[in-house]
Amino acid sequence: MARAIITGTGAISSAGQTPTEILDTILAGKSVLAPIATFDASALPASLAGEAGGSDLRKLLPDRKLMKFIRRTDVFGIHAAASAIEASDVHAWRESLDAEDAVRVSDRFGCIVGSGGGTFDSQYDYFPLMTVARDDLHAFGEELSANVSPMWLLRSLPNNVLCHVGITHNLKGTNACITHHSISGTLALCETLEALRADEADRIVAVGHDAPIEPQNLLYYYRAGLVSPDGLRPFDASRNGTIFGEGAAAMVVETEAAAAARGAPRRGEILGSGSASEALGILAIGADGDGLARAITLALDDAGVAAQDIGMIVGHANGTSSSDASEARAIARVFGAAMPPVTGFKWAFGHLLAASGALEAVIALEALHRGVVPGIATLASLDPDCAGLRVSRDTRATRSDTALVLSRGFGSTNTALVIRV
Amino acid sequence: MRLRRVAITGVGLVTPVGNDVATSWAALQAGRSGGAPIEQFDASGFSTRIAAEVKGFDVDAAIDDRKLRKFLSRPHGFAVAAADEALRDAGIAPTPATATRWGIAVGTGMMGVPYADLAEVHDHSAPAGELEVAKLVDDPSANDPMVFCRSQSSAGLSALARRYGIRGYASSVHTACASGGQAVGTAMKLIRRGNADCVLTGGFDSMVNPVGLAGFCLLSAVSPDNDTPTRASRPFDITRNGFLLGEGAGFLVLEEWQAAKRRGAHIYAELAGDGNSLSSYRITDSPPDGDGPIQAMRQSLANAGMTIDDIDYINAHGTSTPMNDRSESAAILRVFGERCADIGVSSTKSSMGHLIAAAGAVESVVCALAIRDGTMPVNANLTEVDPDCAHLNLVRDTPRHGRIRAALSNSFGFGGSNSCVVFRHPGETEALIAAGG
Repeated sequence: MARAIITGTGAISSAGQTPTEILDTILAGKSVLAPIATFDASALPASLAGEAGGSDLRKLLPDRKLMKFIRRTDVFGIHAAASAIEASDVHAWRESLDAEDAVRVSDRFGCIVGSGGGTFDSQYDYFPLMTVARDDLHAFGEELSANVSPMWLLRSLPNNVLCHVGITHNLKGTNACITHHSISGTLALCETLEALRADEADRIVAVGHDAPIEPQNLLYYYRAGLVSPDGLRPFDASRNGTIFGEGAAAMVVETEAAAAARGAPRRGEILGSGSASEALGILAIGADGDGLARAITLALDDAGVAAQDIGMIVGHANGTSSSDASEARAIARVFGAAMPPVTGFKWAFGHLLAASGALEAVIALEALHRGVVPGIATLASLDPDCAGLRVSRDTRATRSDTALVLSRGFGSTNTALVIRV
Repeated sequence: MRLRRVAITGVGLVTPVGNDVATSWAALQAGRSGGAPIEQFDASGFSTRIAAEVKGFDVDAAIDDRKLRKFLSRPHGFAVAAADEALRDAGIAPTPATATRWGIAVGTGMMGVPYADLAEVHDHSAPAGELEVAKLVDDPSANDPMVFCRSQSSAGLSALARRYGIRGYASSVHTACASGGQAVGTAMKLIRRGNADCVLTGGFDSMVNPVGLAGFCLLSAVSPDNDTPTRASRPFDITRNGFLLGEGAGFLVLEEWQAAKRRGAHIYAELAGDGNSLSSYRITDSPPDGDGPIQAMRQSLANAGMTIDDIDYINAHGTSTPMNDRSESAAILRVFGERCADIGVSSTKSSMGHLIAAAGAVESVVCALAIRDGTMPVNANLTEVDPDCAHLNLVRDTPRHGRIRAALSNSFGFGGSNSCVVFRHPGETEALIAAGG
C-alpha cells in the first residue's frame, strides 16, 4: 500500500498568509480575533471574528478576472492550493517533461476539496430582484435577467475551488468535494490518503476552505449557543462558544514512488485516519465523546501507531461547552496515562469550519518541524469538566515526530488524522 | 490483497416519474416523461416554465416522525422516503451491535435555503434589496433554529444517520451533477477498504424553486420548450436544446459481498468500480473531444477489473444539452471504439429530467434494475439522432431485453467533475469468485 508523502503546504487565515507566519503568530500568544470589519456588525450580539485576506482579495488570485466567477470562500481555497503547489515545486518538474509524459502526469494529478457548501450571502444576490418583484413570482421571472448576473449559479457552486484549481493547474485526475461542515477539510485529507493508497492518483492537492463570517450565519450560531460574544477560550472554565475565522489550507500529497521519481521535497507524511459518527442529529453532541474516541482509535490503528507514539494532539478545541468537555473525555478514554501534550489553534485564528481541519493539520506539521507544541494563550483556568487534559498556556516540546489532529462537525461526526514529519 | 467485493442489496427511488422503485422503473421502460408545467410555484414569468417535478409526494405520509420533519426541506423528504424504501428492500438495518460498522455517503444539492425562508429574510431584513444587519437581529426567520438546520449542507446526512442509527463513517459530497455518482463511488470504497461492512448511499436534490430555476434560466441551460414539456428532454436528438430540470432522490444499500451472501440477501448487482476525473476545461462543459470523461470511463473499467468487452449497457449522462451529449458521445466512441455497435446506450433523463445532485445515485439504481431484469430502459424522445452521436447504439422506442453482464453509469458535473460507476451482474461475480477471482 502506497505511503502518502506531503511535499508542499499552503495556508491563509487571519493569523497570516503562510504556514510559517501563522505558527509564528500562535507561538507569540497573539489571538488575532477582532471586531468584524468587512460589514457593519455592531448590531449583532456577537461581532468578533478572524477575517483574512486584506482589503483586496483579487490580489490573492492567480488571475484577478477570476473574481467574477467565484465567492469569497473560493478565493482562499484557490490561493492556498496555489501556494501548496508552488511549495511542492511540481509544476517546474511537469514542464520539464515531454508532452506525452506531461499529459500522463496531469491525468494522474487529483484534487480533493473540503468546502463549506452553500452560503447565505450568495442567495442575497436575489434580494434586489425580490424587491423589484414585490412578492410577485411572475414579475420575479420576468425581471430576472435584468437584476441577477448570468454567472450567479456558477459563482455559487460549492465545488468552485475544485473546478478552478483544476483549470488553473491543469489537474485531470481523481477528485472530490466534501461538504460536511467542520470535518470537510480533514475528510479531504483522509480521502487523499485513501486515493493514493488505492492507486487512484500519483499526487493530489487537498484543500479545505471556508468563509462563514456572515451576519445570518453568526446570528444562528449565537442563538444556538455556539458563538461567543467575547472570546474563544478552549477547555477554560469560562468558555462560552467559538468565534468564526475564515481562510484555507492545502497540501500536495504524493505516493512515495511519485515523490521519489521527481526528487520532491519531503515535508511530512499522512499516516492514517479514522472517522465515526454518533447518529444524534444535526446539533447534538454526546457527552461521553464516544464518536471521537472511536475515530481516534481507528486512526491510530490505520496509522499503525500506538497511543504513546503520538507526540502532540491538536484538538478540535472550538470553545463550546459541550464539544470541549466531550473531547477531553474522548482523549482521556483513548490515551489515559499515555496522553501527550494537547493543544488547539482555533483560539488564535478562529473556527474556519470546513477549512479548520486542513488548516490545523498544516500548522501541526509546521509545529512538528520545530518540535513545539504551541500553548493556548486564552486558557486561564482549566474547566474541571476537562480535568486531566494535558493542555497549557505555554509552549512545550513535542513528545515525538507524530501528531494527531481532531475535527468534529454537525451531525455528531468526528474525524482523526495522524501525520508525521 | 484482494479487495472486498460490494453487493447492492436494496434500492429506493423518489423520481418525477414515480414515488417508488416499481412505479419509476415501469415509467422508464415505457419512456414516459415526467415533464409538465411547473406547479410548485408561479413560473409564468420565467423563460422556462416547465420541469419534471415529483408528483403527489405527501411528506407527512412518507415521514412518520413529526419532529424530524421540522428539520427537513423538500429534498430531505425525498431522501428519507427513498432511503426508507432501500432499507426495507434490503431487509437489513443498523442495530446497536452493528451501528458502528454502518457508514453513510450522500450527494447533497447546493440549494441550502428554501425559497420561502429566503423570502422571509428579504421581506423583513432587506426590503430595499440590500441586507440590513440591524433588521436581521429581530428577523424571525434569521432566529429560527429550524430554518438554520434546514439550510445546512449536512442536514440531510444528519437526519438520515439519526433516523437509522448509523454510527460509522459519514460524508456528504457535492460536485454538482456528478454528486450522486461520486457519493456511490465513495460508499463502495468504504466497504472495500474495510471502513464499513454496510453503507447507505444516495443523492437527493430539488432545484425546482424560483432561485434554482432562475440560475439555470440565466445560463440558458434548460430547454425552453414550454409547450411540449414531455418532449423537452431529448438526449442525442439533433433538435435538443437544453435539459429538463428534475428533482428527487435515489438510495442504495451496499453490503460486503460475502456477508450479503451469508444472510441470503437478494443481490441486484455488484458495485464493481468507479472512476473520477476532472475536465479542467470550462466550468459548464467538457471539451468536444470528450477529454475528461474519457479518462473517467477508462479508470472505472480498470477499477472494476473489466475491459470494454465486458460492458453491455451504458446509462449515459445524456442531459440533452447540445454540448454534453456531443462530448459524451465522442468520449464513448474513443473509449469503446467498434464495441459501440454492441453496447446499448440510453439516457433516462429523457424521462425523468435532470435530478442534478441526485442524478448519479438515481441512475445507479436504474443500472441495478436493468441488470436484475435484463432490460435496458429507453432513451425517450428520439426522432432524429444527431449525426455527432450516430455511432451510439441508442435504445429507441422500446426497452431492449437480454442479459446485461455489466453496466456503466456516467455523471458529469458543472465544475468539471466526471464520475463513472460500473455494475456487474451477480452471476458474473459468482463465476469470477468460483474461478478464484
